Amino acid sequence: MNNKPLRIALTKGRLEKDTVSLLESLGYDCTAVHEKGRKLILPIPDGNLEVVLAKAADVITYVEHGVCDMGVVGKDTLMEMNGKLFELVNLGFGKCKFALATKKDYPFYDGFGIKTIASKYPNVTKAFFEQKHMDVDIIKIEGSVELAPLLGLADGIVDIVETGTTLKENGLEVVEDVAQISARLIVNTVSLKMRQKEIEDLVKKVEEKINDKANQM
Amino acid sequence: MRQYDLITPEGTKDYLFDECALKREVETKTRSIFKSMGYSRIITPALEFFDVFHQNSLYFPPEELCKLTDNKGRLIVLRPDSTVPIARVTATRLKEAMLPLRLYYTQPVWHFAPSLKGRSTEINQTGIELIGASSRMADIEVISAALEVLSSVGNAVSYSLELGDIRIFKELMLRLNATPAQKEEIHALIESKNYPALNDMLDKLGEHKITDALKKLPTLFGGEEVFDRADEIFQDSRITEILENMRELYHTVREISPDCRITIDLGLVNKTDYYTGLVLKGYLEGYGEEVISGGRYDKLLSEFGYDIPAVGMAVNVDAVAAVIGKKNPPVHAAPDVLISAEEGCEAEAVRKAAVLRAQGLCVEHSMFTDPELSREYAKDRKIAKIIFISSEQTEELEVTIHE
Repeated sequence: MNNKPLRIALTKGRLEKDTVSLLESLGYDCTAVHEKGRKLILPIPDGNLEVVLAKAADVITYVEHGVCDMGVVGKDTLMEMNGKLFELVNLGFGKCKFALATKKDYPFYDGFGIKTIASKYPNVTKAFFEQKHMDVDIIKIEGSVELAPLLGLADGIVDIVETGTTLKENGLEVVEDVAQISARLIVNTVSLKMRQKEIEDLVKKVEEKINDKANQM
Repeated sequence: MRQYDLITPEGTKDYLFDECALKREVETKTRSIFKSMGYSRIITPALEFFDVFHQNSLYFPPEELCKLTDNKGRLIVLRPDSTVPIARVTATRLKEAMLPLRLYYTQPVWHFAPSLKGRSTEINQTGIELIGASSRMADIEVISAALEVLSSVGNAVSYSLELGDIRIFKELMLRLNATPAQKEEIHALIESKNYPALNDMLDKLGEHKITDALKKLPTLFGGEEVFDRADEIFQDSRITEILENMRELYHTVREISPDCRITIDLGLVNKTDYYTGLVLKGYLEGYGEEVISGGRYDKLLSEFGYDIPAVGMAVNVDAVAAVIGKKNPPVHAAPDVLISAEEGCEAEAVRKAAVLRAQGLCVEHSMFTDPELSREYAKDRKIAKIIFISSEQTEELEVTIHE
């Protein structure tokens, strides 16, 4: 009854590439996505899919409002934004973690003074320290968060850590892991119900592929 | 100091002309459905004491409540919901009334929405409450009202109705050995159908029938086959009984509305809901959230000291109007006639207008004495006909509309 393509929003950059290769491994023809030029909405005609390219936070917004049926976005952004949607699949790629880091050998948990934390993710930071019953000052930083403890603005940072190289090169170290992160497949709450069959078919294929990969490793 | 005298607060709007008319039309349509089912209108105040919404079985996130204080310093809220105030009225002024009570409302509710998310603080709702009835017929009556509302939206938009029952989740949670904090997390994960995290969380609590059933719960949505899958998973007599009832209900609803898409979701477990049994949601294509939401709430009235069952549902009027407006943009109806009267002929103009209005026409008086200006105005307003009234003669004139 519904021949409109399923719209899937992808987080531009690495997650987009990983998702496109996942879709290709499932047999979808993603030529249009490879040859996108400056276009932001791209068809995958044989799968009755339409790919939308957006920034991570916007992927969540578009899916939450139902203008995109599904999306691929990192758990980091989901934790920060907290939208009302279904989080169906852990795609396994885009792995990294949220961690609390300080200058090397900095006695972060010592003393009774209020600590200052710099982060690009104030909500994640707030939730982490609330659960520890710690009262902290949180300062939102837009760029390289590592600068804040080095310049003396903050005692520590909560940020995404992949390899830890940036931290090391700047004399910082991880004090504690906050959460594990990877890419997630999210679905609008109404789309899942109105277009259940199409979405479930795709989800099933994706899950099988991910499990195959996991078993091969 | 910055003056905010030319704008409205975030999440509120001024509705003009077509948009306003569309909203009223949706309200009128749903209202006439409710009235024809024997429901009486109730109006509750916009302001309520905070305490009304702060009960054991209720959870309204405090950051979403619009709060103020009264002249004695007591905390007041703008109602975030109409069902709770109706439960309050029923448990007080309607305690002696014959049951069941059938009440409907058409009034806004208020929730502070997160900033810059495109959400409204003020939401116009209309809904029904069937109070003092616990029978299957009561559930069916409310479901059929929801179906009527969805089908009245028109045939251009596809819609679907979804049924669930919160008791399955509640029974399972009752049997699960976990801390309240863990249970709360499981609740959130089932609500968001976060399968991977839910599996991890439940694996930590051990592998047994209950954790296994909870893992499957959010996946149990779809058509009738859901019941067969559920029967395999739940081997508990209490849950089997609930499922059996639901299956019968589903069949009855199918019979009532064979053309409507009716689905089941056993994982409908909204954290902020006060439902105790049936849960229902209505969806319209092209709107990212449910437009109808309801269910059975048998414990709510006892919070106010009157222990009787009830069931109801609410329609998000703004959402329905938005969907209709997008599909069939309303055509602005121009007035039929403009009467342009010379000075001194006002009485005659008013008399003439009354005659025409009695015939069902929409008639405007021109505020210009210069006929040329009247003509221009009529053109602009797309009024097809002007009647000029002067002391000498009455001249009728057709004004052609330029596209």
